[in-house]
Amino acid sequence: MAMVGNLSNEQAILAYTNAVRARTLDMKIISAQRQGIIGFHVPSQGQEMIQIAISMLADKEDLIFGYYRDLAMLLQRGVPLSLIYDQLLSNSNDLQKGRQMPDHFSFKEFNFSTVQSPVGSHLPLTVGAAYSMRYTKKKGIVITTFGDGATSTSDFHAALSMASVFNLGVLFICENNGWAISVPTSKQTKTDIYKKGAAYGIPGKRVDGNDLIASLAGLQEAFDYVRSGKGAYLVEALTYRIGPHSTSDDPKKYRVDEITDGSENDPIRRLENLMLKMGVVDSASIQSIRAQAKEEIDKTLEERMSIPPTEPSSIFDDVYEKPSWIQEEERREINDSD
Amino acid sequence: MTQINMVQSLNRSIDQLMAEDERIVVLGEDVGRDGGVFRVTDNLLNKYGEERVLDTPLNELAIIGMATGMAMYGLKPFAEIQFQDYIFPAFDQIVNNIAKVRYRTGGRFNVPLIIRTPYGGGVRGGLYHSQSGEAYFAHTAGLTVVTPSNPYDAKGLLVSAYRMNDPVIFLEPKRLYRANKKEVPDDLFEVEIGKAAKLKEGDDVSIITYGSMVPTVMSTVEKNGVNADVIDLRTLLPMDVSAILATAKKTGRVVIVHEAPRTLGVGAEISALIAERAIDSLLAPIVRVTGYDIPFPYSHEEFYLPDEKRIMTAINRVLKY
Repeated sequence: MAMVGNLSNEQAILAYTNAVRARTLDMKIISAQRQGIIGFHVPSQGQEMIQIAISMLADKEDLIFGYYRDLAMLLQRGVPLSLIYDQLLSNSNDLQKGRQMPDHFSFKEFNFSTVQSPVGSHLPLTVGAAYSMRYTKKKGIVITTFGDGATSTSDFHAALSMASVFNLGVLFICENNGWAISVPTSKQTKTDIYKKGAAYGIPGKRVDGNDLIASLAGLQEAFDYVRSGKGAYLVEALTYRIGPHSTSDDPKKYRVDEITDGSENDPIRRLENLMLKMGVVDSASIQSIRAQAKEEIDKTLEERMSIPPTEPSSIFDDVYEKPSWIQEEERREINDSD
Repeated sequence: MTQINMVQSLNRSIDQLMAEDERIVVLGEDVGRDGGVFRVTDNLLNKYGEERVLDTPLNELAIIGMATGMAMYGLKPFAEIQFQDYIFPAFDQIVNNIAKVRYRTGGRFNVPLIIRTPYGGGVRGGLYHSQSGEAYFAHTAGLTVVTPSNPYDAKGLLVSAYRMNDPVIFLEPKRLYRANKKEVPDDLFEVEIGKAAKLKEGDDVSIITYGSMVPTVMSTVEKNGVNADVIDLRTLLPMDVSAILATAKKTGRVVIVHEAPRTLGVGAEISALIAERAIDSLLAPIVRVTGYDIPFPYSHEEFYLPDEKRIMTAINRVLKY
């Protein structure tokens, strides 16, 4: 049975479940950060719907270059919670061996590339990856996400220019949450972000990124366009950053919150209300989804916390395929000081 | 075996490698139709087509960023930056992405990419076609920095760089592009990265140099009959510390010659390595002969570049100490 359009009840429930898991996880990480268990966090709260919509439409073969605020996207793509925690905790099970700050993920098996801190600098890489996929005749397109602040970087324009000139299949999705740390979008740009592709011949559209149904419908057209080989597409998803930029700033200093967790305009609440209204779920199943999410999130953290950290001397690995005499010599220095 | 110059050597090497390996793509400004402003990529577009030889928009950040994405996902790009002076818009990509992708992903991704770029002065190119920025790159772990001083090493180092699974900054001393010819084998061969060349055996003084200064140093010591040990580093990161220490211990007198400015240049690192590890062998202070600590001048560039007179002054100073 379809809830709305092509969205089945099962898909809606799964999307809702992952949104709740992402929100619950976010809250849990913040509390773990305050207790000194996790070093830092960039919350994704408020941006769950657009992120889930992206993962719902992306195929396994599609390559995603995300940014540091994409938790819900990763959960919906099927990345195990345990692996996410391992990265956040920098433990010895972390695929990246504890080399990066929390939220800077890389999940090669899920075709989720690698996240860096300098904003927007992954964007030129996406066109190279798309070139490579076309050249080697691989299936799939490249999808990339970034914030509104990133659209001011040279990297953004460099990427649009290259994607356009070489006619590459990159779907650029700006998660415009209104804020780049303390700077509102109005101070970031005088024009609408989705129109910025026009100068490069790249079509664009704006979608309501706080609404799952609208996000899916809007994105579908963009996905179809890129999949058809016509070239790149730029989507601006209007969303909202509930909470701070990171655990290191206090938004009270620079803004009045427009959406708060659990309020009527909270994107998760909006989906919940719609599902209740359509009779897809009842309040008992909502309670059960929330309780299960909480249990899973709490229990998994507990479990992953027992995994030991990496060996100190491993900081000299992976600078090169084979360390040079310089890393070997420096490694001996810390081994000798033990 | 034929006598060819560095441009011909590089051009043939790239051609040979492209014929062997379909993953290689060449990209940069004017690398296609024009064959590169120095003709290093001449005729490759005709031979391999637009899919493998890409004339790109004029944006260094885009060239290097795109090449990085290509390299991470299965290709082997040879990116050209027309002049090293123009590489700086891509510096963030080089330092923060290229040099760190292997590390930050725990070795699950790597960037097998070669960035070729001409550097150095002597062609009356003024401020922006003359700089020697090797120290900027050699300060960044994750990069490998090489610079050939002759057509033979150009081929050998390029082949070695191609066989690496990590990014290589390949600095081509533009003044030497057509300055001399050398016999270069037709087959592919390697010059080991990280290994210096001993160009001349001698006992009185060690001269450590690389890139564009090598012919100047060689003609100076030959003309003046200096009994010098001459080292061509060839790789600047990682430097051949064994060769540096061996020559310093052998002669006890060291002169370092490079074209880049002195302050915090490659010579500073060489001199620190010797001071830390071989100071007991030294019979004289280590002396650097370098470009001056000024922007590269358009007029009077002959005064900027280390020459026979300045090199001999330094040699005499350490010999008489």
